[in-house]
Amino acid sequence: MSTLLEILSPSFLLRDAVIASVLVGLVCPLVGVYFVLRRMIFFGVALPQVSAAGIALSFLLYRMVVGPHQHGETPEQLLAVIGSFGFTLLALLLLVSLERAGREMVEARIGTTYAIAAAATILILARDPHGEAQMVAMLKGDILAATRTSLTLMLYVLAPVVVVLFAFRKQLLLVSFDRDMATVLGMRVTLWDALLYLTIGATIAIGVMTAGPLVTFGFLVVPPITARLVTRRMLTFSIAASLIGGATAFAGFYSAYRFDLPLGSAEVALASLILMVVALGNAMRLGIRRRFST
Amino acid sequence: MPDSLITLRDVTLGYDGRPVLRHISLTIDRGEFLALLGPNGAGKTTLLRGILGLIPVLGGAIEYGFDRTVSPPGYVPQREKLDSIFPLTVFEVVLMGTYARLPFLRAIGRRERSRAAECLEQVGLSPLRNQPFWGLSGGQKQRVLIARALAVEPEVLLLDEPTAGVDVAAEDAILDVIARLNRERALTVGLVCHHLPRIRSLVDTAIWVEEARAMKRPIDELPAIAPLEAAGAVTAGR
Repeated sequence: MSTLLEILSPSFLLRDAVIASVLVGLVCPLVGVYFVLRRMIFFGVALPQVSAAGIALSFLLYRMVVGPHQHGETPEQLLAVIGSFGFTLLALLLLVSLERAGREMVEARIGTTYAIAAAATILILARDPHGEAQMVAMLKGDILAATRTSLTLMLYVLAPVVVVLFAFRKQLLLVSFDRDMATVLGMRVTLWDALLYLTIGATIAIGVMTAGPLVTFGFLVVPPITARLVTRRMLTFSIAASLIGGATAFAGFYSAYRFDLPLGSAEVALASLILMVVALGNAMRLGIRRRFST
Repeated sequence: MPDSLITLRDVTLGYDGRPVLRHISLTIDRGEFLALLGPNGAGKTTLLRGILGLIPVLGGAIEYGFDRTVSPPGYVPQREKLDSIFPLTVFEVVLMGTYARLPFLRAIGRRERSRAAECLEQVGLSPLRNQPFWGLSGGQKQRVLIARALAVEPEVLLLDEPTAGVDVAAEDAILDVIARLNRERALTVGLVCHHLPRIRSLVDTAIWVEEARAMKRPIDELPAIAPLEAAGAVTAGR
């Protein structure tokens, strides 16, 4: 209890990290809902890794063009966000356009993208040893490194993402659910897709910058899958996914702080545990219903 | 002189630049009830998708006797094309039809809800409005999709195999709803169908699609092409 009070205290040393953690937990699932509904879950594995490669390249370019690293400084962080966002968006558009063109072997393409991105990240870092320390910390999901600057950057990026997802939820739903119907109604489906991909790219970029690829992937996918098991309306699905993500992030932070665990891994493990419990409860409920209906 | 609602002038339709149907010229009149028939793979769905604007017109022109931006066609897809992963209630699905007339950024209001409820009532499924869409039978889902198309407030209702994969009772219920909409509201209806004997008494005319061509003729003239029907070849497909 005292640990909880300490974390909630305004003077808590890691307050920015708590807020960053909960923000990633709240917003990633809102985007992840569309990954699940559009059956793009494997994109969620590859894209954060691509984003990490973009950040690594940005660090390298910064050192080559500007000079020695100044971790935590705004220009370097901005460059990293641009690199991360640019790489993510490019990879997403490429993967989606190949899928739309009807090329087969979707999983192979996503797997290859992941492998290339992971290898590229390591190779780029090998050329930039000074950027390695921050990158390794990031890959582990070290949200504890969150600063006031990174928190401000998160708010600037994630607030518009949330606004877009809620303001245009009708259009995004229809384009995702029944593309043909949306076209017949005169909607420009390609533009709506582009808007969705922009929010996906921005969320993944900022998520990876703050929490690393593992946490970003975990929160993109696990809370929406959990929420899907217990909801039957679109709005409640999105809200439940976000709340599960936010609550899990906070509980994960508490566990990591209380038991001295790696933060990112603790959060994802807890989200997965909740998913397993809900899935088991759901299976039992359905089993009981079937038994009594026969 | 019949009032033309949709006119195809020397239209060529296909996919990836490859024509499936060539030089189609025909009209669909206001208030008409017609069926799109033909052998497997002849291009019935291609014709329907072309009329709906879902595939590009490779040649010729399609003219609409109504403003598509104000009153888009009511489209009923094959229900198998929709993904059951979406958590939706019956009412949420019907509400989608009202999005066409909803101003940008405006939330769904009382008018849209009332319209959706009215459409659901027209297909006889009001009691199921809060049920999960995916929990319904095939025939009920199809009727919900018809209600969604009606919520668009269309001039024409176009259905892609509305009775595929449903039992006889459900088929009767679906066709009864469609025929009633045509009869009582003078709604123009076109449907791709695979069960000619069942719809013969309901439709006025048929568009027969075969060998990259499509011809419109009165339903009474169809016995002339009965061998294909007898062979059970009048099923869906591209």
